Amino acid sequence: MLEINNLSAFYGNIEALRAVDLWVRAGKITTIIGANGAGKTTLLRAISGLVPTRYGEIRYVGTNIANLEPHRIVRMGISHVPEGRQVFYTMTVKENLYLGAYLRAGRKRWREVAEDMEFVCHLFPALEERLGQEAGTLSGGEQQMLAIGRALMSRPRLLLLDEPSMGLAPMVIRDIFSCLKKLNREGLTILLVEQDAMIALSISDYAYVMRAGKIRLEGEASELMGKEEILHLYLGEEDVMGG
Amino acid sequence: MLDFLRNFPQYLANGMANGCLYILVAMGFNIIYNSTGIINFAQGEFSMFGGLFTYALAVSAGLPIPLAALLAVLATGAVGGAMERLMIHPLRRAGVLTAIIATVGASIFFKSLGRVFWPSEAYKVPEFTPGTFRLPGATVSKQFLWVTGLTVVCVALVYLFFSRTRAGKAMRACSVNRQAATLVGINVSRMSLYSFVLAAALGGAAGLINAPFASYGMGLEIGIKGFTASVVGGLGNTFGAVVGGLVLGLLEELIPGFLNVVLGVSTGYKGAVSAIILIAVLLFRPQGLLGRGIAEKV
Repeated sequence: MLEINNLSAFYGNIEALRAVDLWVRAGKITTIIGANGAGKTTLLRAISGLVPTRYGEIRYVGTNIANLEPHRIVRMGISHVPEGRQVFYTMTVKENLYLGAYLRAGRKRWREVAEDMEFVCHLFPALEERLGQEAGTLSGGEQQMLAIGRALMSRPRLLLLDEPSMGLAPMVIRDIFSCLKKLNREGLTILLVEQDAMIALSISDYAYVMRAGKIRLEGEASELMGKEEILHLYLGEEDVMGG
Repeated sequence: MLDFLRNFPQYLANGMANGCLYILVAMGFNIIYNSTGIINFAQGEFSMFGGLFTYALAVSAGLPIPLAALLAVLATGAVGGAMERLMIHPLRRAGVLTAIIATVGASIFFKSLGRVFWPSEAYKVPEFTPGTFRLPGATVSKQFLWVTGLTVVCVALVYLFFSRTRAGKAMRACSVNRQAATLVGINVSRMSLYSFVLAAALGGAAGLINAPFASYGMGLEIGIKGFTASVVGGLGNTFGAVVGGLVLGLLEELIPGFLNVVLGVSTGYKGAVSAIILIAVLLFRPQGLLGRGIAEKV
């Protein structure tokens, strides 16, 4: 579904991505694990058009989308749940979700949007109870659910997630990851970026390990899970255990 | 003291009339600031265009005043849009500070442009309905009713725009979190365009109800007053502008009135009042009376 070939991106003169090759298969969960600063976030930002790339291509269902404007990429069916959730704090939960459907909302497709809103509320009942509440008043876990819900409102075919577990209690993380698994079973392709390697691998089909802007290791998630000592080499102790 | 109290209704009426202008200009500052992070130094010149366009259409071209006023507001909006596309948009990667400095240039350019076409020191913009009427304790021009009425309508329309429409919500989203707005598919650069058009139209409306006079040089003062009002209400807080504008307009009448009537100080210091208020707010309550609004609550 998504094929990244030889992709490089720079922040000023710093090469944040070095000749990255990566493949996201349709209907699967692919994960990128790596320590802080490995380039995972930059890679997601490059896919969704927030970071300009210099070399290489990002092919999404056949078209090169590298350096397209972000709203065009959203329209093509890629939705990005950013690091740190980034919900619209001073707007209500409902407004946040509505804005997720921004590209469709103006086209007289109210019914569809309402259906999607129902779908998200069904997936995250905690949000349904708080539709009229300002997003900034939600707990961290609820904000993460809202960020995911907002991204789903654009009816993506590919969902990019950046550190959805960050700062959340283990129980909440489990809830959110089981929702992701459920979405995936219903046909959504997911590209997940995580520092918490074990939880990411536990729901993923295929995994890449990044370090210093490069892909260092890849393989079936189930295989990598068994190679803890190799992961230690690339990630550092606390990241393998979840930190 | 008694004289001051006797004049009090008059101060209130004058203060409210000026306050309404400040509200419109201050909302313009806030709308652009929210969408783009830019403080638009050419905001006052939008009012200049509003006044001069109305003069050109109503007096030079002889159109009926309501039509002239409406066209002037639209034309000023178009000036704002052109400014965004030709100057702000090309600078979008250069950083906010660069864009702010560019707006200083735009202000000078607009003022010169105004001077080329309307070189006299003042043009009389017709009042919507001339004449005055008496209230207990105050003589009020009929224009006053238009000023307050139109301001109320403008504020209500802006409120509805931001709370009900798709574009308005998208602009709010941009002001809360531009990156997240980008990621839901909002074309941030288009929102920047909308914000300039809207701010220019509001500034234009302020300029044309600022009867009786318009001139190429009027932008500076009205710009500074409007900026002060937006800081008083809380920069970036679109509806804080309403409070900021009224507070500034009223204090600007009441303080000199009090000093003059009660203490015998010359009213020549009137112009300093808004500057002192601006400095005081920046020193003691930089977030403004109502807080910074959405942009900073993150």
